Amino acid sequence: MSALMDAITAAFGARILETGDFRGDLTISVAPEAWLEVLTFCRDNEATKFDMLDCLLGDHLPERAAAPFALVAQLVSHTYGHRLRVKTALTEGQAVPSVTSLWPSANFDEREAWEMYGIGFTGHPNLIRLLTTEDFEGFPMRKDFPLEGTVGGRVRTDLRGKI
Amino acid sequence: MGMRETILGDGFYRYDPEGGRPRGAADRPHLMVRDGLLQPALEERTASGICLPGESLDDDEMGGPVQFPGGIAMPVQIERVLGFGRSFSFWPLLFGLACCAIEMMALGGSRFDMSRFGMEAMRASPRQADGMIVAGWCSIKMAPRVVRLYEQIPDPKWVLAMGSCAISGNVWDTYNIVQGIDSLIPVDVYVPGCPPRPEALWQGLEMLRERVKQSRHAYDGLRRIPARDVLAAQTAAAEACAPAAGEVKA
Ligand code: SF4
Repeated sequence: MSALMDAITAAFGARILETGDFRGDLTISVAPEAWLEVLTFCRDNEATKFDMLDCLLGDHLPERAAAPFALVAQLVSHTYGHRLRVKTALTEGQAVPSVTSLWPSANFDEREAWEMYGIGFTGHPNLIRLLTTEDFEGFPMRKDFPLEGTVGGRVRTDLRGKI
Repeated sequence: MGMRETILGDGFYRYDPEGGRPRGAADRPHLMVRDGLLQPALEERTASGICLPGESLDDDEMGGPVQFPGGIAMPVQIERVLGFGRSFSFWPLLFGLACCAIEMMALGGSRFDMSRFGMEAMRASPRQADGMIVAGWCSIKMAPRVVRLYEQIPDPKWVLAMGSCAISGNVWDTYNIVQGIDSLIPVDVYVPGCPPRPEALWQGLEMLRERVKQSRHAYDGLRRIPARDVLAAQTAAAEACAPAAGEVKA
């Protein structure tokens, strides 16, 4: 595989749980405990130099009973022009360290992942709701969230003090 | 009261599994389809003074001739003259909420060219605008901002709800979309479609111009707007809970 993957596998060995290569789209999976360490390496290592976090997003896969949540980071390097997808699998309520210290743009991405899926981020400077109102309850992008209807007061917003 | 109150009560992102919630024009008794556009039903129109194109406004309703001091009667109806002038320089608020705004831009572009009607000056400040085109879905977080923008437009003002989302929430019967902008602010003209073609918006604006000419508004004489009614109900509900806390104190 590419020099990029060689550098990462050489550094982490068996801690890279899975690698993928779909038409040049490189993917690695890591354990949540290695999340911050792997991403720090990706940013700082000379062979990888991922200076940009393209996006960071959550996912909910209820069929994966042991670890139904996924966190995906898409990295871009402007030095080498290569990209990498880093994935991790999480259980309900499991938190990962925030990567806002590596890429400040992760701030909004992590807020959204928390708001929509309930994935926690430790060390995030401002983990509050981004797209929904403050009094909203629940995590709407989870597969068990009702698709239709505003569900018995869950989204009733109080206009007092707002208009 | 009556009909409209029920609609507003159900429409404002509140889900009532027993009573149901209005889901479309057919379930909204105050709306009907005419000329391909949704129109308020007759009772509602007579109550709020909404007029359809082609319907004339009789002079009594306009208040009759203006009396000047000294007993001179002005044979011209001032309101109608003002309305005539306003209708040729209607400046909408530059305000697009979602995908429908793209079609609104198309109407502003050279092909459909709304500047022919004196409407191209879309003001970026509500204080300079004559009305707003609510183009697209309105999220619940955006709802207070829409109300604020509406309230900042000086009187007289007109509102056009563009697209199924602004009219009824469209298919987005979800956690985050206001189910019809008329649960927040009074709407003069509804233009259905997803998105409506620029021609449809053009027809809607023509209807709006007709109403501007006739100085007719969706809001009533007290300038009541639905969002303020909701707010009053929420405040009253909060106050109803308050005495319990007071008793504990005493
Ligand atoms: S009516 Fe259709 S085009 Fe308009 S905002 Fe809604 S989804 Fe978008």
